[in-house]
Amino acid sequence: MELPVIWANYISIALFLALSFGVWSIPKSAVVPEKYDGQSWRDLRVWATGLIVFQIVLYAYFT
Amino acid sequence: MHPIDLAVVIVYVGLITFVGIRFSQRVKTAKDFFLASRSLAWWVIGLSIIGTNVDTNGYIGASGNAYSIGIAQANFEWIGAIPAMIIAALIFIPLYWRAGVYSIAEYLGLRYSQAVRVMAASIVVVMSMFAMGVAMWALAITLQTFIGWPIWLGILVSGTVVGLYSVAGGLGAVAITDSIQVCIMFVCGLVIIAIGVSDAGGAGSFVSKLTAENPTHLSAYLPADHETYPWHGVILGLGLVLSPAYWVGGQAILQRTLGARTQWDASAGMMFAALAKTFVPVLIVFPGLLAIVMMANIEYPDMALPWVIKNVLPVGLSGLMFVAIIAALQSSIDSSINSTALMITRDIRHVLMKNHNPESDLKIGRLLTLGLLLSAMSIAPYVGNLGGIFNFLQLLLSLFQGPMLALLLLGALTKRATATGGIITLVSGVTLAGILTFVVKLNLLYVAFISFCYAVPALWIISGFTQPHSDEHLKTLTYSPWDER
Repeated sequence: MELPVIWANYISIALFLALSFGVWSIPKSAVVPEKYDGQSWRDLRVWATGLIVFQIVLYAYFT
Repeated sequence: MHPIDLAVVIVYVGLITFVGIRFSQRVKTAKDFFLASRSLAWWVIGLSIIGTNVDTNGYIGASGNAYSIGIAQANFEWIGAIPAMIIAALIFIPLYWRAGVYSIAEYLGLRYSQAVRVMAASIVVVMSMFAMGVAMWALAITLQTFIGWPIWLGILVSGTVVGLYSVAGGLGAVAITDSIQVCIMFVCGLVIIAIGVSDAGGAGSFVSKLTAENPTHLSAYLPADHETYPWHGVILGLGLVLSPAYWVGGQAILQRTLGARTQWDASAGMMFAALAKTFVPVLIVFPGLLAIVMMANIEYPDMALPWVIKNVLPVGLSGLMFVAIIAALQSSIDSSINSTALMITRDIRHVLMKNHNPESDLKIGRLLTLGLLLSAMSIAPYVGNLGGIFNFLQLLLSLFQGPMLALLLLGALTKRATATGGIITLVSGVTLAGILTFVVKLNLLYVAFISFCYAVPALWIISGFTQPHSDEHLKTLTYSPWDER
């Protein structure tokens, strides 16, 4: 049985959600050096989350 | 070409050459030349990565593909890049940076063995030499199409300009000029969108005109029975194997992150590149769609972008767009030359010539950069005849991607992978990929996925029976932030 093409979008969105869980499982100390403590914009996990949300929107729109 | 367009081109060439040569004054050692003295800021790294990534195929070929298959072409910029770039930024770049290596091959040498290092470097060097010739040829063809220069003159002028800043200034000059080039590319992309959507009568009208006769052109994926880009293959082969192999193991891409001023800048640079990458379809996919909406009368899809430049952009801007195409090609050539010179100088020469003198790395690196540039310029006029060989080499390179990714992943994330396991897995994995490609004649996307699925357990099992490196040796070569909590 062949899955409809729309499933490719669902799978992509699921992969991006799984990636965001992986990103937030990385401890902050591995991403932000101590000297930047208190500068939340330097937390690359936040950058990654922004990118992932954008990708999810793209794959939800272009179906 | 209109005189105003020509003036724009001359100003661009002058600016790039000036910036590149100014940078040459900072180069005193091999580290300055190959890693920009570890001084690059995150935003320079990000823009330079995109400049290196968007090449001939990216610009002209992708617009042509978008004309044929629509927005599905953007998968190469989205699921075929973003996840791998995030993983590279958060896991692999910190690892390479802490290991203090100049190249990915050097990391593989430390993690596995010098044999794996030389093998990985040799594959990339051979492939890069042909790829540079192809890029130089494409640059000359572009100059011939727009200005009417003969091929030899195009090769001579573009080779001289690239040579002036990459031989003199090394990675620092390459990264700065790449950044300028990418800014030009994005300005042109935005102008094309504004003019294109306006001419089409607004965004709504643009979409309805596009989908009237091409209803799937705004679908991200193509059916499973599509000959070239079936959606299973795109997700499994491109998204899970080929893209990570490129973004966590591509030397030309990652070299600028190794030249970062701090580890944070290195990772943030890749993350910034991912943000820019999300918008790259604006540059390379939209012109193909615009050509459909404007009912371009073109003979074949690759003519979509040249048609848009000629028929949509006003005088001055078409010169700037022409500059953007030259910039895309130049930034790929300069990065490739610099990274190839690095791998020959260190990963091949240092390993094979036991009595090498590290003090002469800068001199040899510069001579190699010049030699590689001259060889690319020599190969370029004959690329039409070498097309078959180039395609074959590209095919061979793709056979390494699945097994190489397995080596990088297990090498970085576990202490289990061993030197013997690495060599056996690499050789047997490439053999399997060769059989699947040449005997079974499977789509390359599936070959990459299957060879990766073979290599992971193979490396895991074989390593269980062979001698591992000591924990002390692996301390800076494996990623384990959870242990440090």
